[in-house]
Amino acid sequence: MRGSSYNIRQSATPSFFTKGPSAFARLILFSVLSLALIATDTRLQYLNIIRHQLEAYLHPLTLMVNAPMELYRQADDYLTSHNRLLSENEALKKHLLKANAGEQAMTSLKVENRNFRNLFNLKAKLEHQSFLAEILHATSDQLTRKIVVNRGASHGVHVGGAAVDAKGIVGQVTRVYAQTSVVTLITDSSLQIPIMVERNGLRAIAFGNGRDNVLEIPYLPSNVDINIGDRLATSGLDGVYPAGITVGVVQKISVARGSSFVSILCAPVGGVDYHKQVLIVNPADNTISAEEKEVSVSNKEQSHLGAPKKEPNHLSAAGKLKPADFSGDVGVVNAPQ
Amino acid sequence: MHRNKLSHIYLSLFAVYLLLLLPWTESALRYKPDFTLLVLIFWLIRAPRLCNIGTAWFIGLLVDLATGGIFGQHAWAYTVTAFFTMVYQKRLILFNRFHQFIYVFILLIIAQIVLLILKTFSGVPFPGMVYFMPSVIGVLLWSISLLFKLHTDGRPGDI
Repeated sequence: MRGSSYNIRQSATPSFFTKGPSAFARLILFSVLSLALIATDTRLQYLNIIRHQLEAYLHPLTLMVNAPMELYRQADDYLTSHNRLLSENEALKKHLLKANAGEQAMTSLKVENRNFRNLFNLKAKLEHQSFLAEILHATSDQLTRKIVVNRGASHGVHVGGAAVDAKGIVGQVTRVYAQTSVVTLITDSSLQIPIMVERNGLRAIAFGNGRDNVLEIPYLPSNVDINIGDRLATSGLDGVYPAGITVGVVQKISVARGSSFVSILCAPVGGVDYHKQVLIVNPADNTISAEEKEVSVSNKEQSHLGAPKKEPNHLSAAGKLKPADFSGDVGVVNAPQ
Repeated sequence: MHRNKLSHIYLSLFAVYLLLLLPWTESALRYKPDFTLLVLIFWLIRAPRLCNIGTAWFIGLLVDLATGGIFGQHAWAYTVTAFFTMVYQKRLILFNRFHQFIYVFILLIIAQIVLLILKTFSGVPFPGMVYFMPSVIGVLLWSISLLFKLHTDGRPGDI
């Protein structure tokens, strides 16, 4: 409204005369355009091809901007002291020796495992294809946890692949461009991982919650057998992440008053802040990533079903719910908060 | 009569755009002000005939391309911010330094709120007041740049 009143006044003085539609009209026009784009991008996915094409044009620019930093890093590598290299070399040799020994044991175990599987007519375990990728940068968005790596569709990376570092899972490939791909970190609130407690094989799903270095495991009953310090590994049930990769360590367990669910917080072990390379592991089968959600849901149900054996003791102690009530308690949980 | 050249506007916007493509660490990202929007607001106030809401929208699209989020979120945030800049543009150049400081701060906050609303729809929890840190730092940079004779009102020699 104000914009139009200005225009009327301005038209009296030719030097300030503004051409074109009023500010308000422009606002409406461009808002509609943006909202249409947002809707198309989030719901319809028509834009992906155009977007990938444009990203490809942007890539050389990104490389150019990153060049000075890259140069500095290379110079830094070149100028590392003799002593440090020697000690590092020593440590790596020891590490290699250990790894080699481990690998030999592993090979024989693999052969044994395959034989057993053949013996019992089990399906062969999924083999995963993997690439070493370098982290280019974090995406400049405060609310999402994403990084960009320098391997893309032209190298054979697929959406849905897992990003792994030496210690554990870092994230999942969520967008693939020609030369680069975007990895969403496990701490991002849009990512869930089916996990398994290494100690007792309890299965659950870990959710990122958008904060630094925290994963949540919701929806587990408060009597669940989980302790602080338990290591969590991928269960491999979704077919996206290979089984048995460490995800995190349980850090905090708390039960809210009046809630029958326990809130479990874990610290992820893989960290992108510490190094420059990650291993991208492609999903064993491309079609699986689309089904991931369904699998996760069924997973969640399983994790519920896994626990009820001990419930009666606990619940009689708490004196709040009868075991029979437990399956339908979702409404009860939210009420006191 | 206008000494503000279109090429100056696009060159400066291109320069800050490159800043966006730099490899920022995660902790730096939390405090990094929206340089692109700052430069955009500067030109919107100083040369409204060369740099208008359409420019803001287009730059927003480019930012979306670089950040890899939802396509159109920055475009919309910049459009809304540009609108509020244009509405008070004539008054803004007459504001004293303090009033302008406050108003630019409000503009930066508006852009962040629009982005936050869009994010909330996709299920991101509110990260707390720290979320608005980039705006605080942004407006401080704005006032520092004014000390270096970057004036938004055309001084007699400028227009």
